[in-house]
Amino acid sequence: MSIDGLIAQYKEILEDSPLNYAAQWKANHPGSKVIGCYPIFTPVELIHAAGMLPVGIIGGGNRLEIAHADSRFQSFICSIVKSTLELGLTGKLHFLDGIVFHSICDPARNLASVFKRNFPQMMVEYIHFPQNMTSRFTEDYLTAEYERLKGAYERLAGKTLTDDDLQRSIRLYNEQRRLLRELYRVRRETPQNLSTAESYVLTRVGTLIPVEEHIEVLKEALAGLRDRDEKPKDRVKVILEGSFCEQPPLELIEGLEAAGCYILDDDFLIGWRWFVEDIPVEGDPIRNLARAYIDQSVYSGVKHDSREPKAKHLIDKVRETGASAVVILAAKFCEPALFDYALYRRALEKLEKEGIPHLSLEFEEKMWIFDKARTEVETFVESMLFD
Amino acid sequence: MVFVAGVDMGAKSTKVVIMDDQKNMRGKSAVRTRPEFTAVAKEALGLALDQAGVQERELSYIATTGFGRYNVPFRDIQITEITCVGRGAVHLFPKTRCILDIGAQSTRAIRVLESGKVREFRTNDKCAAGAGGFIERAAKYLEVKIEEVGELSLRSDQPQTISSVCAVLAESEIINHVSNGQSVENILYGVHQSLASRALALLKRVGLEEEITFVGGVARQKGMVKALEETVKKKVNVSEEPQMVGALGAALLALKRLEKIRQNGREAPIKEEARVA
Repeated sequence: MSIDGLIAQYKEILEDSPLNYAAQWKANHPGSKVIGCYPIFTPVELIHAAGMLPVGIIGGGNRLEIAHADSRFQSFICSIVKSTLELGLTGKLHFLDGIVFHSICDPARNLASVFKRNFPQMMVEYIHFPQNMTSRFTEDYLTAEYERLKGAYERLAGKTLTDDDLQRSIRLYNEQRRLLRELYRVRRETPQNLSTAESYVLTRVGTLIPVEEHIEVLKEALAGLRDRDEKPKDRVKVILEGSFCEQPPLELIEGLEAAGCYILDDDFLIGWRWFVEDIPVEGDPIRNLARAYIDQSVYSGVKHDSREPKAKHLIDKVRETGASAVVILAAKFCEPALFDYALYRRALEKLEKEGIPHLSLEFEEKMWIFDKARTEVETFVESMLFD
Repeated sequence: MVFVAGVDMGAKSTKVVIMDDQKNMRGKSAVRTRPEFTAVAKEALGLALDQAGVQERELSYIATTGFGRYNVPFRDIQITEITCVGRGAVHLFPKTRCILDIGAQSTRAIRVLESGKVREFRTNDKCAAGAGGFIERAAKYLEVKIEEVGELSLRSDQPQTISSVCAVLAESEIINHVSNGQSVENILYGVHQSLASRALALLKRVGLEEEITFVGGVARQKGMVKALEETVKKKVNVSEEPQMVGALGAALLALKRLEKIRQNGREAPIKEEARVA
């Protein structure tokens, strides 16, 4: 299939019925189990090794009407928390045997309990990620936490996980993440050949289908991209930060690009490409996974690491990509992203002095009208073009 | 002589400015925006060209702005209203660094550099309570013509507070004031004060600089200017035709762009969208 056809096919799935694939997979594999993964970080290897399908439950998109969840949450709670509950309350998560949450923010933490209460048939797991990365007990602690999770999935799947099972899964996900890193490299180096909306589609589809299939999709896409040779357009190169949990509508991403930006890097779906390098396969797989979170994972608004100031990472990212501006795109009411903006302020001011301005925008998963955001980005681009 | 045009297609009216290469305004026009965008833009352009005594084929560059900027197929480039208003206001008032633009559907606070380049800006939410459309609805309820609102509001002696942040709820407040026997003048000034306080919130977010310029159709209402000056506690600049500032800025940027293209010896618009249409 051509690269255009491949992307169009998955774009349609994402826009129409993203979760149908997993439901269909379950129907085609009697006795198998599906586990929902709420953003951001899930050690999907544990789920995969148990023969289950991990599926990203990343909100309800902008076509889901929120009718029930609004009565259960306050108005200042972000959209993704509400829409995820709405999916459950309207029976759209019927195919899930379990779902996993973790400590990213207060609403997400509480969503785990809300799910437990409302959906007793579902195995709701909650990972307590360490908040202190410098303690000598951190690795032991997270290893124990992952062992506990492994035990829970063993019971659900009715299968004991061997080191071989886990190592095979780690190897597969290493391959998937390596290909995703490659996809991002292609976009960063030749943004005219791969739009952000396209790379988003190719990444997001990986949260819905088995990793084995996603690896093939990515290989096909990367091969197809080698034939693309577009002329670079006169656009401003930016990096985008702040959309690590709730995801902006695809139309908004397209709108940002059409307003005159090449987005060289972003933090969309960061939990599905959360390691900067391969996780070691040899040795104790659970400990390797734990160590990878502590030492090899990407920086993010929801990972607390006093060794690695986030603002420094932001500056490094600007330097590495050669971006000429930063766009902060945070979800409305997203505390971690909006707090980050305050933490980034000093770094952004430093960049500003070097002639690298920034723009802060807010979005909501359930957005229909993109004019305002587009006008703001266009003005931002013009302020650089009409210098 | 080189001529350019700035076309500002706003939610309520479409304004055109014809300018020569010495930055003299040679012609201008304003017509009501209707759904037939191309025809409206042609009509407004024709009127302005007539006034300037310039033929359409003599135009070297056409820049469009406003919400309908993409709906003018004969444009060379489209530029946002924020960028245009910044340039236009600084052209008229060179010392201004802070601009408030209230149009029919949107309100924007803009901070600019000496060159007129936009430094920071904030726009109102997708809510009508902070823009001209709200005044229009209030005028309709009070059965006064929109052109009279500015003068009437100036005559207020006991302004009535409109506290709601929502246009629909504010309307019921207006109805309450009417049924309590309050004068039209006092209610209208209350409406202007309500808009001014919302504008202040936006202005504070971009930073209230020393010299403020007030532009957009709503700036034609004298009562609104008074309410704004009272709220920001200083005089604000208002040009003779504040609604034309966007089109003026578009024309200035058209000249700037034309100059750059000629320097580079090439004919290419900045953005690919302009070529597509």
